[in-house]
Amino acid sequence: MGLLDKEFIDSNIVIAKSEDLLNWARLSSLWQLSFGLACCAIEMMATSASHYDFDRFGVMPRPTPRQADIIIISGTVTLKMATRIKRLYEQMPDPKYIISMGSCSNCGGPYWEHGYHVLKGIDRVIPVDVYVPGCPPRPEALLEGLLKLQEKIRKETLRTKKA
Amino acid sequence: MKISEEIFEILKNKFPDYKFGLETETPVEPVLSADPLKINEIAHFLAENEDLFFDSLMNLSGVDDANGEKSTDADGAEIITGGTLSVYYHLHSMKFNHKLTVKVSTPRENPEVESVEGIWKTANWHEREAYDMVGIIFLNHPDLERILMPYDWEEGSHPLRKDYKNPEFYHGMRVPY
Amino acid sequence: MYDFLVDLIGNEIIAAFISAALPVVFIVPFVIFGVLMERKVAGHMQDRLGPMRVGYHGILQTVADFFKLLQKEDIVADGIDKKFFNFAPYLVFAGSYAVYAALPFSSKYIGADIDLGIFYIIAVSGLVVAGILMAGWTSNNKYSLYGALRSAAQIVSYEIPTALIILSMVMLTGTLSLAEMSEMQTAYFWNWNIFGGAEWSFTKLLLIPFMFAGFLLFYISSLAEVNRTPFDMPEAESELVGGYHTEYSGIKFSMFFLAEYANMFAVSALVSVLFFGGYHSPIGYVGNTLGLEALIPFEQVFWFAAKGIFFVFVQMWLRWTLPRVRVDQLMTICWKYLIPYAFLNLLIIGIITLI
Repeated sequence: MGLLDKEFIDSNIVIAKSEDLLNWARLSSLWQLSFGLACCAIEMMATSASHYDFDRFGVMPRPTPRQADIIIISGTVTLKMATRIKRLYEQMPDPKYIISMGSCSNCGGPYWEHGYHVLKGIDRVIPVDVYVPGCPPRPEALLEGLLKLQEKIRKETLRTKKA
Repeated sequence: MKISEEIFEILKNKFPDYKFGLETETPVEPVLSADPLKINEIAHFLAENEDLFFDSLMNLSGVDDANGEKSTDADGAEIITGGTLSVYYHLHSMKFNHKLTVKVSTPRENPEVESVEGIWKTANWHEREAYDMVGIIFLNHPDLERILMPYDWEEGSHPLRKDYKNPEFYHGMRVPY
Repeated sequence: MYDFLVDLIGNEIIAAFISAALPVVFIVPFVIFGVLMERKVAGHMQDRLGPMRVGYHGILQTVADFFKLLQKEDIVADGIDKKFFNFAPYLVFAGSYAVYAALPFSSKYIGADIDLGIFYIIAVSGLVVAGILMAGWTSNNKYSLYGALRSAAQIVSYEIPTALIILSMVMLTGTLSLAEMSEMQTAYFWNWNIFGGAEWSFTKLLLIPFMFAGFLLFYISSLAEVNRTPFDMPEAESELVGGYHTEYSGIKFSMFFLAEYANMFAVSALVSVLFFGGYHSPIGYVGNTLGLEALIPFEQVFWFAAKGIFFVFVQMWLRWTLPRVRVDQLMTICWKYLIPYAFLNLLIIGIITLI
C-alpha cells in the first residue's frame, strides 16, 4: 500500500498521515451511479463485465445518486438531458467526482459543428475531474481514466477546499 | 401487385376533382403528389380499398424543399421566403406487397396538412417530429407539440429548416461550439 | 453465560445487558466478511473476479467502504420528516439485532435464555416492517413509498408460512425454546431434524420427506422476509431506483446495509437451528476425542457460524442466479402456493406426531 515506504524512525514506528487513510478509503470504494446515455454506455457496460472488470477496483454500480460517489457521463449529452444531469449532480453527496467518457461529453464530439441539440461538452454544466478521450474509448482507456482519478484522489488534502 | 402508374389512374378515377401529379424521373420510384388538405380522405381510401389495401405507413417525413428566395431581414440574419415545405408518406401493403410514395406540399408561410393519425397510428409520432423539426402544422392531430427538442425551445424555431440559426444560450448553457 | 457473568460481576441487570449485547461482537465481523463475500461470490459466478485491488484479493474492501461512507455528506432533503427519517435505519437495525438475543450460539452461550424463544423471534422481526415503512414514507419520494409499501406487504404476508412451518416444528419437538430444540438434535447428522429428529423409530423415516418439504418452504419464505432476490422488489434497481433506501446517504445508509446482512444471518441461523442441528457438529467433537471437555463450546460456536454462513452463501447464490419475481407473482406464490402447502405440511406432521 505504500505505507512501508515511509521511513522507519528508530524503534519500528511508521508514521503516515490520516489523510492517507481517508484518501485511500475514498479511492478504493468509488460507488458509481449507473448512468449511460449512448454508445459510450455500451463500452462502460463492457468494462463492468467479465473481461475487464470494474468491480476489481471496488467500483459498484448503485441505482440512486444519493449513494454514489462518481458519475461516468458516457454518451452524447443533449440540451434536454443536461438540465437533468445538473439536477442529478446536485443530488449526489460530497465528495463526488465526474469522469467524462468519450468525445461527445468531452467537447461535443462529432456533433460539434452542426449539432443544434447537443451540449458541446458536459463541462459547460458540471465540473469534470477526468476526461477520457475516444469515440468510444476502449475499456482499457476507461480503466486508465479511473486510475488517473484514483491518483488525483490520492493527492487530495483536507486543507485546500474542493469546489 | 400494382405499380404506381396504375394507382395513379385509380386515384384519378376515384377523386376526379382533386389534383394529383406523378413524377417519374425520380431516382428510386415514382412519387405521387396530392393536395395537403385532402390527404386524410385520400389516405382513407388508400388504406381501405380492397385492391390497394395500404395497411402500413412505413415512414412519414417532413422536408424543407430548398426552393424559396434567400433574403436578409432586419437583424442581418438570412431568412428564406416563399417556397414550400413537403411531407412524404411511404406506404406499403402487407397483403399485396406493393409500395407507394405520396408527397404533399404546402406553402412555407402557412404550412397546414391534414393529419393521417386516425388511419395509421404510427403517424402520431412522425407528425410530431415533422412539426418539431420543420414546422408543419397537422390539423386534427390529438397532441401536436415538440417531441425531440426540449419543451421550452423557442417557439417558431424549427431546426431542420434551411434558414435555422442556433440560439446563443439555452438555460444558461452556451450552445455553439 | 448469564450465570458466569453474574458470578463475575454480581449485578444481575448488568450481566443481562452484557449477555444480550454480545452478539454485536459477532455481527460486525460477519458483516465485514459478508459484504465482501457477496461481491466475490457475485464476481465468480459471473466469471469475473470481485474486488482485487483493495487488500490482498480484496479483503479490506468493506473497511474502505465503511471509511468512505463516514466521509460522505449527510444529505437531508427538503420536505422530509426529520425525526423519523433519522430514526428509521436504527429501528430496522434494532429489529434484526433483537433476534440475535434468542439464538443459541453454543450450549453455554445464549443471549437471553427465554422459554418462548421462537415466539419472541417471530414477534420482534416485525419491527423491521415498521422501520422500512418509516424510511420509505418519510423520504418524500414516490419511489421510496412504493418500495416501502411493497416491502411491508411482502414481509407481512410471508410471515404466515414462516410461522406455520415453525409451528409444525414446535409440534414435533414439543418446545418453543431454541436452546432446547438444539439440544435435542445431539451429535452426528442423522439426528438432525431434517432427517426426522433424534428418536430412532418408525416415525423418523416417515417424517423425512415432510421435513425436507418444510425446510424448502421455510427457506423460501425466509428469503422473502429479508428482501433478498428473487423477492427483492423493494430494492429493485431497475424498477424502483432504490426502493426504501433511495434518499439515504452516508452512515444512515450503512445502517441499512448492516441491518440487511445481520438479518440474512439471523434467518440462516434460524434455519440451521430448526432443521440442521443448531450448534451441534455433524461429525462429533474434537474435544471429545482429545478429552478436553472445555473445548466443546468453542467448537459449537464454530459449527453454528459455519452453518449460518453456508446458508447465507446459498442465499447469495440464489440472488445471482434467479431473476426477480413481479409483485403480483410474489403475492401469488405466498398466498396460493406456500400457505396451502404449509398447512398441508402442518396437518401431516401433526398426524405423524400422534402415531
